Amino acid sequence: MSLTSFTLSELCSLLETRKIKAEEVVTDYLKEIEEKDKKISAYITVLGDLALEKAKIIDQKKERGILAGVPLALKDNLLTKGVRTTCASRILQNFIAPYNATVVEKLEKEDAIIIGKTNMDEFAMGSSTENSAFFTTKNPWDLKRVPGGSSGGSAAAVASNMAAASLGSDTGGSIRQPAALCGLVGLKPTYGLVSRYGLVAFASSLDQIGPLTRTVEDCAVLTKIIGGFDAKDSTSSCEPIPDYQKEMMKKLQSLKIAFLQENMLEGIDEGVKEMYYHTLKLLEQMGAELYEMDFPSWDYALACYYIIAPSEASSNLARYDGVRYGYRQTNSQTFKEMYVKTRTEGFGPEVKRRILLGTFALSSGYYDAYYVKAAKTRRLITQEFMEAFNKVDYILTPTTPEPAFLIGAKEDPIAMYLSDKFTVSANLAGIPALSLPVGWTEEGLPIGLQIIGNFFQESRLFKLAFAIEKKVKFRKQN
Amino acid sequence: MKPKIDIDYVCALAHLQLTEEEKSQIAPQLKKIVEWVNRLEELDINASKGEVYSTVSFSAPFRKDDVQPSLLEEDVLTNAPEKAHEFIKVPKVIEEK
Repeated sequence: MSLTSFTLSELCSLLETRKIKAEEVVTDYLKEIEEKDKKISAYITVLGDLALEKAKIIDQKKERGILAGVPLALKDNLLTKGVRTTCASRILQNFIAPYNATVVEKLEKEDAIIIGKTNMDEFAMGSSTENSAFFTTKNPWDLKRVPGGSSGGSAAAVASNMAAASLGSDTGGSIRQPAALCGLVGLKPTYGLVSRYGLVAFASSLDQIGPLTRTVEDCAVLTKIIGGFDAKDSTSSCEPIPDYQKEMMKKLQSLKIAFLQENMLEGIDEGVKEMYYHTLKLLEQMGAELYEMDFPSWDYALACYYIIAPSEASSNLARYDGVRYGYRQTNSQTFKEMYVKTRTEGFGPEVKRRILLGTFALSSGYYDAYYVKAAKTRRLITQEFMEAFNKVDYILTPTTPEPAFLIGAKEDPIAMYLSDKFTVSANLAGIPALSLPVGWTEEGLPIGLQIIGNFFQESRLFKLAFAIEKKVKFRKQN
Repeated sequence: MKPKIDIDYVCALAHLQLTEEEKSQIAPQLKKIVEWVNRLEELDINASKGEVYSTVSFSAPFRKDDVQPSLLEEDVLTNAPEKAHEFIKVPKVIEEK
């Protein structure tokens, strides 16, 4: 049996007791990548030699970290020292990061092995990886379909056993949506829980790094490792990080759950809707008190997001000018010409669309009408959540309106934006949300359930997710 | 509000240059997106209380302003597209009249 079928937690204990060697684990994973990635295209860069070398060193080490010898994949917007970090963009195609992201430092301190950098939508703008400047990643459950995005490569790699787990980033749903479409657990932590230092910025007030894993336990283990205060991120929180894995095992006490009023589910896939109600029934049997709730401001969340995120992006992406790093157009006579040509040739269509949209929203005469209004709407959305959390512990929603869609099916930008219908609100409010697989559609595509909690309530999310996971047995059904 | 998107003006602000073909594709898309986000007007935003621009739910802590080691010069310059000695080289900044 290949070692790649073990979960991260299982691998950790096999490696800790030295029943297996890190070198064997890495060898098996590289074999898997060699066989499968031609079809799936999850990786932009595979770090085969580096990973094997590191495995040999770890096998010799006496004192080792928690993740000693575990092969992990990283979304290609996380800086890795000495290794290419492209953001799936032509403008960073040959960029070699001069330092590590804080999360990478933390993983390496625990002796994890970075096995590769995964594909994504360019600069994390998209829901399918079709916006990658290099290639589209395929969904391992059906190669004609997208894996979701923007962390689609990270999701596909874990779902096809080409990595034990991975990290992605989530600005409007970019961890949870691909997790749902690929049958994985994915967490967008509370804003500030995980340091963003070394994450290539898209929309700084919304971006969070989080794990994509095969089980809730794996997700809890990784979140504990990557979380915590970092002086290098000015929005990093000092909130202590509990032992999520231990907390998760404790008995569920209060189980007050809000579910969405039917009008909020209009237009979504029937299979997804059915599975949502089925899971709610299951929770009722587990003793949950269910409350039907309406969140009127959610109707405006996507519109609000598509002002705030592009506005921040237009500012963040101003740094790509061909001067200090990244692609430079060399046939320019003047500085300004170089600047314009570099950006025009370096960015793909979706990135340009969002930069232009953000530039427009922030431009003189429109700033109050768009940006300020969106910022106030964001506040309303947060207020609505806080009112709900006075009554309940959790809010449950489908993660996505539909299962994995066909490659090329959404050419209209707005149709693509609607993929994040249920996920953006948590980013706007800054609260944590987790997606876990709860079943399949008739065609055999995974369906995700989203659990939203209050600020810094990750422990609670894991606890409920773990309880649902035990009931649903998604991996066993597989 | 009925916004008028002057695509050339916005491109100039963003330092992007679009071909006529790209413009004819992107301009209507932007218009459609802007019309779509206009639905925010239906909301009573006066009900929104508190800090509008704050993004964190906690108070961000202050730290001492201690000098920390920074990147080495050679690390900073490794990705520079063109360099001369310890400088990054760029085309002429001052344009001739």
